[in-house]
Amino acid sequence: MTSTLLLEQIFNGLQAGITLFLIAAGLTLILGIMDFVFLAHGSQVMIGAYAAAAITIATNNFYFGILAAIPITFVCGYLLEWLIIRHLYGRDHMDQVLATFGLILFFNEAIRIGFGPAALFTNFPSSLSGFIEILPDTPYPVYRILIILVGLLCALGIHLFVSRTRVGAMVRAGASNPEMTAALGINVKILFRFIFAAGATFAGLAGMMIGPLTSVEPGMGEPLLILSLVVIIIGGIGSVRGAFIAAILIGLVDTVGRVMLPMLFKTFMSVSTADTAGPALASMSVYILMAVVLVFKPTGLFPPKGA
Amino acid sequence: MVLDLFKKFTTLWIILIVLAFFPIFTSTFDLPFWNDVVMRIMLLGMAAMGLNIVFGFGGMVSFGHAAFMGVGAYCAGISQYYGLDNGWYQLLMSAVSCGILGILIGFLALRTSGIYFIMITLAFAQMLYFFFVSLEEFGGDDGLIMDRSDFIFFDLYEPLRLYYLIFFILATVSIMLMLLIRSRFGVILQAIKSNESRVEAMGLNPLKFKLTGYVISAIICGLSGCLFASWQEFVSPDIMHWTRSGDLMIIIILGGLTYLAGPLVGAIVFLLLEELLPDLLHVLFPPISENWMIIFGPLLIAVVLFGKGGLMGVMGSKLKTAANREKT
Repeated sequence: MTSTLLLEQIFNGLQAGITLFLIAAGLTLILGIMDFVFLAHGSQVMIGAYAAAAITIATNNFYFGILAAIPITFVCGYLLEWLIIRHLYGRDHMDQVLATFGLILFFNEAIRIGFGPAALFTNFPSSLSGFIEILPDTPYPVYRILIILVGLLCALGIHLFVSRTRVGAMVRAGASNPEMTAALGINVKILFRFIFAAGATFAGLAGMMIGPLTSVEPGMGEPLLILSLVVIIIGGIGSVRGAFIAAILIGLVDTVGRVMLPMLFKTFMSVSTADTAGPALASMSVYILMAVVLVFKPTGLFPPKGA
Repeated sequence: MVLDLFKKFTTLWIILIVLAFFPIFTSTFDLPFWNDVVMRIMLLGMAAMGLNIVFGFGGMVSFGHAAFMGVGAYCAGISQYYGLDNGWYQLLMSAVSCGILGILIGFLALRTSGIYFIMITLAFAQMLYFFFVSLEEFGGDDGLIMDRSDFIFFDLYEPLRLYYLIFFILATVSIMLMLLIRSRFGVILQAIKSNESRVEAMGLNPLKFKLTGYVISAIICGLSGCLFASWQEFVSPDIMHWTRSGDLMIIIILGGLTYLAGPLVGAIVFLLLEELLPDLLHVLFPPISENWMIIFGPLLIAVVLFGKGGLMGVMGSKLKTAANREKT
């Protein structure tokens, strides 16, 4: 029984980790290449989730909702960079924190005005609501498997793009030394805008996919944002590979800890105390992990070369 | 000396004097609600002034100072839970606990810099947040209802006593900060902000000064949190939510981070906007009167994009240009 539960939780952890990676992949490049503290990345998740949910409800077709929402998030990211973000490169970190904090407030309220404060609920189609036996007698939801697969596919795509293509080489160069990259005649402005929009799209995709699993509501992106910041810091700012490893690690620690710690505590605490303390301490463990990593490796586990 | 401090920090003195006489205004016009707003202004302003020692004067962007407010508030709440009602004792407890925590967190966090420092301070704040969520004995997520603490010279259930207690602590902190900023320590801290390696080359250890600044700011936030608990008659982890750390930064940058009075000016503007924007929206666009943040968010972005130096900076430069015009 316990081993089945553990396996299930490990898969849930993988799914959470992959989702975090999709959010963190763009953000780590934004932080690393543009040296820009972008707190409104969680809003991109929310925008993606809302776009997909609204279109799904309107057309009654889940796949169409996702397909239509992807370009919407890309355009949102592109416009946001063009309208506001590009004026903030090279400013103080505190200015960036403040301005993007303002963006969070704006997006949350805009969504609240547009869709109301209550959560939107969508269901994925019945073809995805089945279970697969990952091991004999261990059924696991197809939809979550699908999230893991799509996430891995995206990760592979991002990896190949960054390591094999010409634009990817510019991205890597930008991550290790932005000034030198610009000096070599690469149009950094366009590169930045492209990275920004792509990052927004992946974050939006994460939001679209987890939408049916969680509630689509204003402010849904912020807890994810904080976690993906943790991921980025542990992985090393600007490193996509580091973000991937750290995301899986955080996803597993958070999810498995949330289930296992209360069970562990119940062996020596009262049930209600363990139920309160367990999940909270599991959330704490993520930050403890981050603090330990930073104390021993102040630039994260996989800092990009030359940084 | 006193005159010197007065000349240097005129805005801060004027604000303090206005705050001292503000209850006369509210009682004349029978607006007791505004006393409450001003108490919040003073509490958040005090916390922001504390944060500004590291943030504005030391150049360290700490994204986790709400945690110290929370620790201060819980010092009051937990002491009272065990029957220790004495408010002065609770203030002392808050100062000591935040001081010790400040040393620990500061020592570890100051090993990093830049974005990593922002994030590690956030991490420690989140850790403390979830720590207090996990304490079922003290209400966990739901928090702890408490009475106002028992400050021997101030019976806080008499009208205005809490107001003047908060004012008294705020004024004391302000005067000490005026002295601190002009002391050798304050000057070195600001020098570290502008060029750390030069300070190091002069044979000083920057870490020592940064850590001291961090601890002092933690203690001030703790005092504010301890009083906040009495004001709210309630403590919950909400007081140390990461968005409050964001609020404190907003308050500082709104007011102007290179000025001692900046955070107080910022707190006044921030909380007045919070009170008045819904009313304003109610008149202009009734359907979205609850959604004042839709105006507030872009306002913040505008402040960052166009208003360098915050309100104090804008006012200062206006005054200067006016003075220059008079001269020529």
